[in-house]
Amino acid sequence: MNLHQLFLADLGPELQLTAETLRQASFAVRRNRNEWLLQQRTRAVIEMIAHTADQWLEPGNQFRILALRDGPQETGWSPATLARGLDTFFRSITVESLEALVAQDLGDARRLDDFGAGSAEHRTGRTSLAVGPELLVHLTAGNLPNPALFSIILGLITRSAQIVKCPRDASLLPRLFAHSLAATESKIGACLELVTWSHDEWNARELEDTLFSEAACVTATGSDTMLAEVRPRIPSRTRFIGYGHRMSFGLITKESLSPYSRKRLVRAMADDITAWNQLGCLSPHAYYIEEEASGSAETLAAELADELERREATEPRGTIGLAESALIQSRRSTFALRAAAMASLTERNLNRSLFFDPPATVRLWASTESTAWTVVLNHDARFQPSCLHRFIELKPVRQWSEVLRFAEPFRHLVSTVAVAAPDDRLPDIARQLAHWGVSRICPIGRMQEPPAAWRHDGRPALGDLVTWTDLET
Amino acid sequence: MRPLLALRVSESDQKHGIADPLNPGKSGQTLHGSPKPLRWLSRKTSQMDSRPRPTGLRKGFLQNRMTQSHLILADQVRTLIGRCPKPENLLDAPEPPPADWEAVALNLFALQYETVPAYRLLCNARGRRPEEVRSWLEIPAVPTQAFQELEFTAIEPEARTRVFHSSGTTAQRPSRHFHHAESLALYEESLRPWFAAHLLASEAAFPQGLRPRCLALTPQPANAPHSSLVHMLEVVIQDFGGTGSGFTGRVGGDGAWELDLEATLEALESACANGIPTLVLGTAFLFVHLFDALSAQGRSFRLPAGSRVMETGGYKGRSRSLPRAELHAAIAQQLGDPKIIPEYGMSELSSQAYESGGRFQFPPWVRVRTIHPETGLDTAEGEPGILRIHDLANVWSVAALETTDLGRRHGQSFELLGRAAEAEPRGCSRMTL
Repeated sequence: MNLHQLFLADLGPELQLTAETLRQASFAVRRNRNEWLLQQRTRAVIEMIAHTADQWLEPGNQFRILALRDGPQETGWSPATLARGLDTFFRSITVESLEALVAQDLGDARRLDDFGAGSAEHRTGRTSLAVGPELLVHLTAGNLPNPALFSIILGLITRSAQIVKCPRDASLLPRLFAHSLAATESKIGACLELVTWSHDEWNARELEDTLFSEAACVTATGSDTMLAEVRPRIPSRTRFIGYGHRMSFGLITKESLSPYSRKRLVRAMADDITAWNQLGCLSPHAYYIEEEASGSAETLAAELADELERREATEPRGTIGLAESALIQSRRSTFALRAAAMASLTERNLNRSLFFDPPATVRLWASTESTAWTVVLNHDARFQPSCLHRFIELKPVRQWSEVLRFAEPFRHLVSTVAVAAPDDRLPDIARQLAHWGVSRICPIGRMQEPPAAWRHDGRPALGDLVTWTDLET
Repeated sequence: MRPLLALRVSESDQKHGIADPLNPGKSGQTLHGSPKPLRWLSRKTSQMDSRPRPTGLRKGFLQNRMTQSHLILADQVRTLIGRCPKPENLLDAPEPPPADWEAVALNLFALQYETVPAYRLLCNARGRRPEEVRSWLEIPAVPTQAFQELEFTAIEPEARTRVFHSSGTTAQRPSRHFHHAESLALYEESLRPWFAAHLLASEAAFPQGLRPRCLALTPQPANAPHSSLVHMLEVVIQDFGGTGSGFTGRVGGDGAWELDLEATLEALESACANGIPTLVLGTAFLFVHLFDALSAQGRSFRLPAGSRVMETGGYKGRSRSLPRAELHAAIAQQLGDPKIIPEYGMSELSSQAYESGGRFQFPPWVRVRTIHPETGLDTAEGEPGILRIHDLANVWSVAALETTDLGRRHGQSFELLGRAAEAEPRGCSRMTL
């Protein structure tokens, strides 16, 4: 089975997009939105979305089958990793979770349908209506699919016509999702357009500028350089919401290292590391381990290595690019050399002056004859971005508060911190992390499972899309 | 089979401390003057004849840095360099590596294992000792980034007169490749013939006695003492450069290199005026600075016929980076279509590769492999892999190096696919517009 051609992105690289085609597409989706989508009630739209998400969880669903058949080739994820990532995402999309999102961001689940009033508005004699942008444009990133899929969901809830620009090599999953929405309700497909081009195409800039001039609101996900490049090109009347690079890490307190809790902890860590092979902004780059007795972090690292080896059998990492693989190999050999130096230092009292700066103690566990997984126990606690694809550093610290100092250079980039801590310590840790700038704190093992109502980078994702019309009476 | 290590040590020499005590595991010298580890000791009493053979050992010879052995090996490498074929023959049909290349490589490995403690550590960790290594393919390679952490040198601290750093950003720890007079001499002997073969090879452009004007866009040697590139250009200018040759770059306030625009434009103007073929030498980002300045002023130059440009890759975030084709088009357009010869080198090496016909080639004393990062095995010819470079001119450090660059090997030449090191640091990967 193959997809029929419903969106411009379905036509593949043979289609030479022009600015005129984009303008016509904008006109069409805007007209369809005004004629149909705008007339729908929030509840009805949410039900369509939730129904579609539910369908994706069925093993026999044609879109799911296609995603698992063609996805691994486009994305490099193994079918098991892809299936788990999609299941986690679609399980979080339900009528309840989406209504909770609307209620949380807008005060009430019907604020997009009718003029209404919260208690504060009542007191000031006003009612108000939340209005979504007429045409919403998304520039999506290619690292993993859920942000693009969730952007489409948000745009549907705000009843916006949408144009989604996907990277050339990462359009499959957004297309499949759009097709599945259209299968639920064909008119949704008529309010949605997907396009794709690569930034080195000759008219890429013209195409982008056309989108920007048509849109009422643009969201963009990508590197800070990309956002800085795009931001000044957005017309002043158009709203711009940029989601830049983010990194996440884990924090494990000493109380969580007891042999009893360790087993579950190790599985949870492996869940975080294998989810989308760490490629998302919410995936861990490192775990900080509060170590009371020396050696407890080492035990944890060894057990994590065993667990990752087991996962490789059931949920393999899949193939990665040569450059990525070379980077892992190069990092590994640096750590292996440090580890060997340290070992011989203790065994044979080798001259420490061999090193320019004697390194901290390092131990390395790694898959053999592949780069499938790597665990590094590194007593150098300075935060360093991982090379991802299941490459994780465990960094022992004496007290958790040191972590903020070691991660300081990356403070503005941190999104999520997964914390394993006893109930009596969590509130204090969470408060300090919040004031330091962390926007999401979650249990270990759930880093890549944000709830639908998640405030993206600390901002209300839905609330930021709408504008309000106040009615004073 | 090569001759076994044979040593002449009289008991009285040992007793009086004239020779070192011998133990298995130490290195000595074969009849051919190559270092070789001692496997066992035996004792035989013989009458001295008038022509004592094999070699005697002087006090200190067997100590851990074996200076003399380095000189001997350097001479062996010089022999290889001396046989560097004429450029005309070489560029058309690359010759197979010389037959004794591997013997020198194995000798050098044994010596470096013995005299570079950090290398010995790495070899031991990988379970590769000289006595077990039978082929050059088994010689362990040092990842270039390890030069940032460990001293890969056989030169004693007090003997080091020069150090070359990698050209990373200042915040990173640079690689360190130490030199002294002997190692620099070999470095220079290694660079000359191959540079001449690629940048000066054409009787028409450079008839006998005519020295080209060499314009280096980099800062002067005094201002960039730790740059191997600048040292190389200094040697080039000294040995090959005619009147008007010199450096037209400078070190900016933030420590980064930049063009002295006025000096550069003046030098280019004068080069165009007097008609002598010119070599313009610089890094890609300096050329980008030059072209940005030229287009801002709406100017361009027409270098004299026979002029050449040597461009060495790498942007390191110091300018916007241009795709190669675009950079070369800009060079052609703004400098009057000179021949462009890309160079590939790094501070950890003592030899350079030059590109011709889309492929880089090192001189015959250097061999290149491509390794698949997943399996650690050599990739097939034409298949991409990590570049591993075995440079015999690296006598006093380590010959076998693993780069972070990707390439495709075709015989002894290679296509460069990208410099992986520049990809770092990053957050979520694959974020593309």
